[in-house]
Amino acid sequence: MEISNLPISPSIRSKLLSKGYTSLSSLSSISPSFLAQELSVKLEEAVEVLRAVSDTTTSKSAHIPYGIIPGAVTAWDMLSEEQMQRHISTGCEDLDAILGGGIHCKEVTEVGGVPGIGKTQLGIQLAVNVQIPVEYGGLGGKAVYIDTEGSFMAERAYQIAEGCIYDILDKFPSNSREFLSCKERLQVNNFLAGIFYFRICSYTEQIAVINYLENFLTEHGDVKLVIIDSVTFHFRQDFDDLAQRTRVLGGLSLRLMKLSKMFNLAVVLLNQVTTKFTDGSFQLTLALGDSWSHSCTNRIILHWNGNERCAYIEKSPSVPSASAPYLVTGKGIRGINSNFKRARIM
Amino acid sequence: MMDTEEEDFKSRLAPDVTPNRQLPWLTGIELLSDTNQNKHFLPTGLEGIDALLGGGLRQGQVTEIAGPSSSGKTQVCLSSATHVVDRNFGMVLYLDTSNSFSPFRISCFVNQLHPSLPKELKETSLQTIMSNIYCQSVFDIFALLDLLHHVETTLKHTVKLGGSKLCLLIVDSVSSVIAPVIGGKNSQGWCMMASVGVLLKRIAYEHNIAVLVTNHMVGGENGTLKPALGESWKGIPHIRLLLSHGTGNNHGTTTVLKHTLMVSMHLDHHEIWSKWVVFFSVLEHSSVTGRVLYVAGDSFAYRTHASDTN
Repeated sequence: MEISNLPISPSIRSKLLSKGYTSLSSLSSISPSFLAQELSVKLEEAVEVLRAVSDTTTSKSAHIPYGIIPGAVTAWDMLSEEQMQRHISTGCEDLDAILGGGIHCKEVTEVGGVPGIGKTQLGIQLAVNVQIPVEYGGLGGKAVYIDTEGSFMAERAYQIAEGCIYDILDKFPSNSREFLSCKERLQVNNFLAGIFYFRICSYTEQIAVINYLENFLTEHGDVKLVIIDSVTFHFRQDFDDLAQRTRVLGGLSLRLMKLSKMFNLAVVLLNQVTTKFTDGSFQLTLALGDSWSHSCTNRIILHWNGNERCAYIEKSPSVPSASAPYLVTGKGIRGINSNFKRARIM
Repeated sequence: MMDTEEEDFKSRLAPDVTPNRQLPWLTGIELLSDTNQNKHFLPTGLEGIDALLGGGLRQGQVTEIAGPSSSGKTQVCLSSATHVVDRNFGMVLYLDTSNSFSPFRISCFVNQLHPSLPKELKETSLQTIMSNIYCQSVFDIFALLDLLHHVETTLKHTVKLGGSKLCLLIVDSVSSVIAPVIGGKNSQGWCMMASVGVLLKRIAYEHNIAVLVTNHMVGGENGTLKPALGESWKGIPHIRLLLSHGTGNNHGTTTVLKHTLMVSMHLDHHEIWSKWVVFFSVLEHSSVTGRVLYVAGDSFAYRTHASDTN
């Protein structure tokens, strides 16, 4: 049943099957107007069907190179690529260390925590840190900030950008010629101009903006970070049909994965927590259910440990689970300098 | 004497079936010898899981690993890929849906394999092993079906080409591309899930490849977790394992949910087991004379192996 594997709408698919077109070869020599008449659909829809058919058949009959499928890369090539990859610093050295350098590009990282723990602060810090020029050890890219709750404050972003620039100039005090040209770019206004901000107010807008992101990212090739704060907000209240919510979210996360791989950028999703009754007690878990928990590459949980804020890596394919404390200061997210020299490994 | 009888029997059957599409008829003995000689166990690198699987991932079969988030499913996949290539079984194709394929982690596994090797040999062995693991990202079910068709066509055409042949196909995770299309009002999603299942089993059986897929968990009744993709998917993998977290430490536990050879650990799977018991008791009783024609999906061969040893 090859027709069933075509990416066309279900109503057209059932019309094709009911008229007797079951295999791709039966559609190979048919004109769009004839098909439109047969199925009683519009001419454009018939053209789309035939285009989907021809796409599938050309990819199958193309010369198959040796190398099992086109586009597959060996792990060895990926290793060398990965070693040259830069990471986005979070501002806290301990957290960067346990993350293996910082937030990875080409991966979707989910950050969850109770309200007030510093998720939005971390989001804004990452949006600033991704813009650190390459000469100073950063990525030199721009950021897309998708705000669903309205918690992004431009004044705070200004403060954090100022703090970041101050620390960079502190760390690299040299006045050599290469650094002079970069220094001009280290202006707070440039940093704020490098954050593309989207404010969305419903789940349909959220789905729409993620669908639109592909076009946006093709136009703005220097975006290296997409932050969604928070990805759960609109899906918690308005959705009646939970099964449909799971399906929609599954599709959303796949699209984000594809974007991160295609455009070589990092996607950071901020998530809220909810309580769950397991093993006879109420526990805090991330919102959106069990099926959402597998749709990210890495997961970081921010929590309180006594009086200090702590970040715990719950899920990662390449680094072990570990915990690191951090501070939210006036300049942004920073590590604990004097007392804790090493992150506690769990 | 036996051979001519068998040939006679086969030739009487043959005209009744369509000649082109039919795979050759095989007797139980032929299947058993094929199992013993050709269907090897591929190591996962984790002794407990290899023991539960009866030796490792079986060539020709689809093994599923289900488990909650961060229970170790991707790590089992990465470890299997490393160990299979290290023991020279062939190439590995890793289809990744959540960008979790980590070359760094593979290099960690490789370095743990032969700790006593000198440095230069380690470097070349790392390159050889990692050059035999191919990774491709898949982000929707149409791309997955396309890719699997392509793999099947390539395997048919390049049977005896030089270099290594594909021996392990990993899809991590198959549930994340299938789950967004199933459920809902129309049934096209279930149809596509069935297509994926049939394709995976066909690739495994016809080209003697082990297929490893991962599945996530969803909520069931009373707040317990159950593997995703529902009842219809349960019949597709030959062997299903369930991973779970250890509480508070690094140890997890693995449970066998379904296995063609061994008794499963859960009570609700006794129906599967009893079907086999009834069938073989029919064969064993001497009142049954003549031959039994069993039209099998795929699990028949391995069960005869077990009854032989019982």
